[in-house]
Amino acid sequence: MSTAPDKVAVPRLALSGDVMQTLYRVLAVVLLSVALATLSDVFLTANNILNVLRQTALLFLMASGLTLVILTAGLDLSIGANVALSGCLAASVIKLTGSPLLGVATGIACGLVVGFANGVLVTALRIPSFIATYGMMWILTGVTYYYMAGETIHGFPSGFRQLGSGYLFGVPMPVYVMVVFLAIGALFAQRTVWGQQIYAIGANPVAARLSGVPVERRLVLVYTVSGAMAGLASLIILARINSAQGDIGEELTLPAIAAVLVGGTSLFGGSGTVAGTLIGALLLTVVLNGMNLLQINSSWQPLATGIIILLAVWIDTRTRRIGE
Amino acid sequence: MKYLLSVTAALTTLLSGSAFAAGETIAVFTKNLTNPYFQAVRVGTETAAKTLGVKVIQYVPTKPDSIPEQLSQVEDVIVKKPDAIVFIPVDYKALVPAVEKINAAHIPVTNITDRSAAGDFIAFVGADDYSIGLAIGKRLLTGIGGKGNVIILEGVKGSLTSTNRVRGFTDALKEFPNVKLLASQPGNFQRLNALQVMENLMQSFPSIDGVLAANDPMAVGAIEALEGANRKALVIGINGSKEAVELIKSGKLLASGDFNGFIQGCIGIEIAVRNLRKQSTPKEVMLKPIVIDKTNLAPYETPVEQRTCPTLEQIVSN
Amino acid sequence: MSTHTLVSAQLARVPGVAIALIALCGIFAVTSPGFATPANIANILTQSTILLLLALPMTLIIMTEGLDLSIGAVLTFSSIVLAITALATGSPALAFLAALAVGLCFGLANGVLIAVFDIPPFITTLGTLGIAQGLSLVVTDGQSVVGIPRSIEAIYSGTAAGIPLPIILAALAYALTHTLLYHTRFGTYVFALGGNREALKVAGISVRGMLIRVYVFGGLMAGFAALLMTARLNSAHPTAGIGMEFDAIAAIAVGGTSFERGNGWLLGTLLGVLTVGVLRNGLNLLAVPSSAQVACIGALVIIALFIDGLRGEQ
Repeated sequence: MSTAPDKVAVPRLALSGDVMQTLYRVLAVVLLSVALATLSDVFLTANNILNVLRQTALLFLMASGLTLVILTAGLDLSIGANVALSGCLAASVIKLTGSPLLGVATGIACGLVVGFANGVLVTALRIPSFIATYGMMWILTGVTYYYMAGETIHGFPSGFRQLGSGYLFGVPMPVYVMVVFLAIGALFAQRTVWGQQIYAIGANPVAARLSGVPVERRLVLVYTVSGAMAGLASLIILARINSAQGDIGEELTLPAIAAVLVGGTSLFGGSGTVAGTLIGALLLTVVLNGMNLLQINSSWQPLATGIIILLAVWIDTRTRRIGE
Repeated sequence: MKYLLSVTAALTTLLSGSAFAAGETIAVFTKNLTNPYFQAVRVGTETAAKTLGVKVIQYVPTKPDSIPEQLSQVEDVIVKKPDAIVFIPVDYKALVPAVEKINAAHIPVTNITDRSAAGDFIAFVGADDYSIGLAIGKRLLTGIGGKGNVIILEGVKGSLTSTNRVRGFTDALKEFPNVKLLASQPGNFQRLNALQVMENLMQSFPSIDGVLAANDPMAVGAIEALEGANRKALVIGINGSKEAVELIKSGKLLASGDFNGFIQGCIGIEIAVRNLRKQSTPKEVMLKPIVIDKTNLAPYETPVEQRTCPTLEQIVSN
Repeated sequence: MSTHTLVSAQLARVPGVAIALIALCGIFAVTSPGFATPANIANILTQSTILLLLALPMTLIIMTEGLDLSIGAVLTFSSIVLAITALATGSPALAFLAALAVGLCFGLANGVLIAVFDIPPFITTLGTLGIAQGLSLVVTDGQSVVGIPRSIEAIYSGTAAGIPLPIILAALAYALTHTLLYHTRFGTYVFALGGNREALKVAGISVRGMLIRVYVFGGLMAGFAALLMTARLNSAHPTAGIGMEFDAIAAIAVGGTSFERGNGWLLGTLLGVLTVGVLRNGLNLLAVPSSAQVACIGALVIIALFIDGLRGEQ
């Protein structure tokens, strides 16, 4: 008697394992905050907390789409350059048409198209994601530099600027955007079939394909989402600094990757959560904020970031062992 | 085969962006593609080149501020033997070997903006970062009434420009004993950086009366941060950029120090050309420290592309 | 068989990177009068040496399905230590040893974190990148370290029998790595690390020990490259090596080494490094605007891998 084929082989998400990881991280953030609160009497002020949240929101938005990519055991090195191009195009549109709405649409559309191109490179042209997005990064940067010609676009309508620097009920706008996308991302990843398929692709691409998962289409999806989120992040940056320049966002690529990794998502794919990425982003931002408040020489910052990444992942590997 | 050659030749012309030009060829080196200051320099060189009938080729590292890349570009350019070179070193110490190579190849070279630590140059054209810092520092400190709290936003750690401008700020502070310096932090000459640093500093210091920013993007970042927190302070920057001029007009920026990349580019080319044509050239041209504020805005409102180059005589006689 | 099939069958044996390199050289030689001169070729080769020194060990590391993102930062920090030691002791030899020591330490750290603590290579080396970068900034406070003995500079600018010293050193490094990889047991084990770790265990070889050795090799080469870098700049600067690890990885990928299968081709790496060097040099000679150059580099990487992907399917 033949057995009916299994449904999509969803890897046991080992929910307890993921929850444990998130708890450890939340614990780390709490401990760190306590330490900083004792060392600096400004840390726990409302203003500072809001600042931290706002900065975390930006990093999270960059890293959220990236989480999906890394879940499939891929990588997107082009997000920083994507932010630059999308932001500069959006800025031009806003200045030309005076319409923030058109600008927002442009920014997200550009990010989306770039992401889609990445997806095509990885699936149809079979180029490893590391290299494809690395090459894309250079191409985007070249196009952006050429387009901007060293100039700055500045001065956006105040309605648009609310997106980055505005407040709603005393909470910075980017935080609301962050919460919205946290919800969307988490729900998508954990509760939809497509989300489950993405985990499956990362855990075991061959098995996923055999189970009927349209691997190529899902891969294109995750890169497109990563690009669209980069486009969104660029709009927030634009609104924050009220200007666009050829190199905006380039310094955010590695921190975004770090946020995803510190958040517990594995580079090998198949395990990790969007919520984890948020905590990772929060952890990194708190550390940098603390260093600024304590007036620690900014040269120490890369060092601190490096150590945190190592610590976070090391703790993960220890706790995964315990879980097994 | 001939068809292939002509196609490639056509492509080359297209790629190099300029048709054949009579006259000397001058290679211009700047630090990066993103800082508007260097764009102003490049526009200055192109404007002067057009007037003087020479051809200018721009060399910018693909990785911003990359030392090894600028070194490679110098080596590659020497092979092409341009008639002259106008040079801004990415780092004033690390690029000395490049200058030595240029000297060994007997290509006349003019140094602008950042004074190279060593090497033979026809001339140095620059603005004195220290004097500008001092002048505009005094302007701000007078502006806040000679008392209160100020913050310094430094540039990139280790950059000569930053070090000298900050020195100017701190010396200005010495003349105002009732003003307290709360903090001096690097903002990397960048807007977002300065904004976040400023936000963090505003947490620690509830009362800030003035901000001395070592360049305009950072000054704008500080202004954004202040506005975001509904706080007020007097801010000055340095560069005289388009945005700064607009902000001075609207009253948000007190003043900006004129560190004129456009003019430096112009004069750099003029000196290079004069040297090639066997005319006399000064060994050093230092642009005067000018503080741009509401009273002398007018000439700065023209975009760089539309300005005309001052002549060497005009600058030197000022 | 028709001539056409014969020719294309032969062409299929020629690796994509070689075609790219020859094509680029051809185009530049025709369109740029200065390209095919001995001086310019010497330039290209000399400029490629530091990248080659990083790409050689990186090839081995990639073959073991690993990655070393810290190698550029380690190069930078080693060069700073080299310069400081040279200033303090006046001895280039001691300075060189110090640089090697730094490379060794970071290589060990990487190897141990990866092999013993089981932290994925990407993350480990991202962490050590931050540490090396941070140390470079803190120690120098952003300033160049200058005033080092002139004998060090001579290592980059000197020649022996008319050939620039860096080229000779790079050739030696290539020969060493080639021998290591293809003619020693160490090399066989490296191949096994990539495709067949079980075989190692069965043979009683410590997988951990081998992994550590591979990363130590990377660190040592970074220290060696630091000598060339410091000589080239006649100083040390905390941003000197930024991004070189990605350049190395791109050159290796263009050269045909695959990330997935753990197979590696050292000659391909050399060709890949040369292709990137030729491209940059040619574009400079043609005075192609910098923004177009940036885009071209990305295009090269993607096209090279696209072609490889196509050929892989035949």
